[in-house]
Amino acid sequence: MFYRLSGVYHSSLISDSRMFKVPADRNLAVFLLLIGLAAPFILPSLYLNSYILPWLIWTAAALGLNLVTGWAGQLHLGYAAVMAVGAYSAIHAVRLGVPWEIALIIGGLAASVIGSLFAFAALRVKGLYLALTTLAMQFVMDWVLTHSPTISGGSHASLQAPTLALLGQQITSDAGYYYVALGWCVLVTIFMLNLKRTGLGRALVAVREKDFAAAILGVNSFYYKILAFAASSFIAGVSGALLVATFYFLAAPEQFSVNVSIQVLAMVIVGGLGSIIGSYFGVALILLVPGLVNGLVVTASEELGMQVNVETLAHIPNAVYGALIVIILMIEPLGLGKLYGNIRDYLMTWPFDQLRK
Amino acid sequence: MKTKRKVWTIAIAAALATSGAIASAQENEPIKFGLCFDLSKSYTFISPQVAQAAQDLAMYTNENGGIEGHPVEIIVRDHGNEPQRGVECYEQLKREGVFIYNFLSTPVTNAALPRAMKDGNILMQSFVGRGDAVDGEVFGWVFPVGPTYWQQAANDVAFIKGQMGGDLSDAKIGFIYLDYPFGQEPIEILKTLAEKEGFQLELYPVPLPGSDQSGAWSKIRRDKPDYVISWLLAGGHVVASKEMRRNGFPIDRYLSVNWMNEVDINNIGAEEAKGVLRGTNVAGGQDVPIVKTMLDTYYANGKGSGPESLVRDVYYNLGLAVYTTGFEAARLAIQENGWPLTPESMKSGYEAIENFDANGLMAPVTVTPQDHGGGGKTRIEQWDGANWVPLTDWSADYIDVVWEVIKESSAKFTVE
Repeated sequence: MFYRLSGVYHSSLISDSRMFKVPADRNLAVFLLLIGLAAPFILPSLYLNSYILPWLIWTAAALGLNLVTGWAGQLHLGYAAVMAVGAYSAIHAVRLGVPWEIALIIGGLAASVIGSLFAFAALRVKGLYLALTTLAMQFVMDWVLTHSPTISGGSHASLQAPTLALLGQQITSDAGYYYVALGWCVLVTIFMLNLKRTGLGRALVAVREKDFAAAILGVNSFYYKILAFAASSFIAGVSGALLVATFYFLAAPEQFSVNVSIQVLAMVIVGGLGSIIGSYFGVALILLVPGLVNGLVVTASEELGMQVNVETLAHIPNAVYGALIVIILMIEPLGLGKLYGNIRDYLMTWPFDQLRK
Repeated sequence: MKTKRKVWTIAIAAALATSGAIASAQENEPIKFGLCFDLSKSYTFISPQVAQAAQDLAMYTNENGGIEGHPVEIIVRDHGNEPQRGVECYEQLKREGVFIYNFLSTPVTNAALPRAMKDGNILMQSFVGRGDAVDGEVFGWVFPVGPTYWQQAANDVAFIKGQMGGDLSDAKIGFIYLDYPFGQEPIEILKTLAEKEGFQLELYPVPLPGSDQSGAWSKIRRDKPDYVISWLLAGGHVVASKEMRRNGFPIDRYLSVNWMNEVDINNIGAEEAKGVLRGTNVAGGQDVPIVKTMLDTYYANGKGSGPESLVRDVYYNLGLAVYTTGFEAARLAIQENGWPLTPESMKSGYEAIENFDANGLMAPVTVTPQDHGGGGKTRIEQWDGANWVPLTDWSADYIDVVWEVIKESSAKFTVE
């Protein structure tokens, strides 16, 4: 009913490899994009700048990690470090007088180079060993940041970002920051949607499933692994730079520490490996739910007039949030994206499939 | 006619009553202090004590007429030491009418600082965040009242100089620190002072979280420094005390940063810790008048804002020190510029604080538009097995050297 399939025929390869095979999916995407564009006029600024904006940037970042972990199957535990490389190189470039547009690309490329360096390790080791190699990268980056004041910005290790300016326009308003984040997130999403239906995407999946089987089929796993790392690092670098430029306004090593790496990985896993819509859901759950649950618990305790110790009050949301992750992964181990897919598949034929029963 | 007139009278009376109610509501509008603290992750060794102190102090103030007749409200939220959630907390409280914030976490304060500076909101950041924020000319909205780590280190050197007969030319001072920005901060000032005073400085970095110090201490055993200044936290002190025992280093030559509390002393062992030194700007213990008042008024009747054990902790005193200063600033602000309190008047209230020591609770502070740190006075205390005994009076030394470093660092903050 909602995802009407009647009248949808694919008679050629081109039509079968469309981005949205069911019109309803496309309509939904367009509708959401319109809402996204109108958001600054509908949503209060609090939601816009402290929930939606970080959500979009982290989604872009999570999609990048999904590319290397979900598509190419390479476990990555140093993703935040790659974001840090992008953020710091972009900010330093701007501070040296490079315009933001170019600085963002410099950030992306710098992250790409450093990220691919570690991909060479990926060619030798797999699975948990690769996870450790990337974790080492995270610690190397942490060490470099805390021990080189020139990079991290003095003995306090905090580097102030100059005001964001794109196309000769200084961006200082909430709506402006939001549109930059939205633009980047949409760009990455379109790239990922297209990745699914190209030879590159299929090659990555082949490498993920069994790299030597892929090699027998003529897929150069060496080349595709490096490509996956480079592309995902580029996305990470630009996302890191934008995160600082539009949200934190200054870069500090803690913003890109090892627990952030694990958080991004959690976003991808809870959302669903290899699922684009899942990344959106996963980021929302990991990033926003703790704050929202915290707010709910505080309000509830105030409404009920309970005299709860501040410390207890702080730990209840953590417990709720932890339980939520466990419950979701128990209901659907393939993540929130799959959960959404199940509902969509059910609605594909509903209610007409009920007639047959 | 008559009824019409009656209706009018009632309407006007009602209107007057409502406007009166609005006026008095505004009059009774509380002064809101936003406490976005880390109550669930890394800073839990201190946040509950400080939050409890703030709540107790607010309760006491409100029961005694408030600040110039206006009640105080303390809003506590958890940010779990995540910059993202700290920003969220800032933005949310901003919309609830809060303009005085405290984040009590270096990463979160750093993330919120650009916003507070841009919006013109008061950021209380005693003991956390960047040290150069005491420069009021650059960081107009940030009030890190208390000593910076630089000033603390300089005061420590001055104390050692006094102990060694006023001459440091033959001295060897060790510096053991956690190898990340918190611990690395004093190095620069110590190097400058080593050059100035001619003492030999030895650095002993310890990897996070400070549970493995064996390498550093065997090096200390070989180097035999006269004193070791320590920039370690919580459990780090306990490990250090074990290593001191193992390597035969006298504990009364171990001079800790202000982060050493009753819990750490208990973990070391009250007897074992005898002689250990600590630099601090807050008087510890329960003999301080305000702490006594809290214990007698509330905790004796079971009406405190939390468990009594947290009161018997130097970080409770620290919380009281931070918030008495904040309340005093609000009082001065209302006294000078009247009600309602605004960020601007709060700022000038802070900058009018002169020689304020909260009745013996802390080192006297004098905040000026140039110096938001209040002078940076500390004293050295020694643990005698049961109490902390002050060895020196409140003082700040090498002020010119410290300010040179502050100015140099704060100059790098501004970007267009």
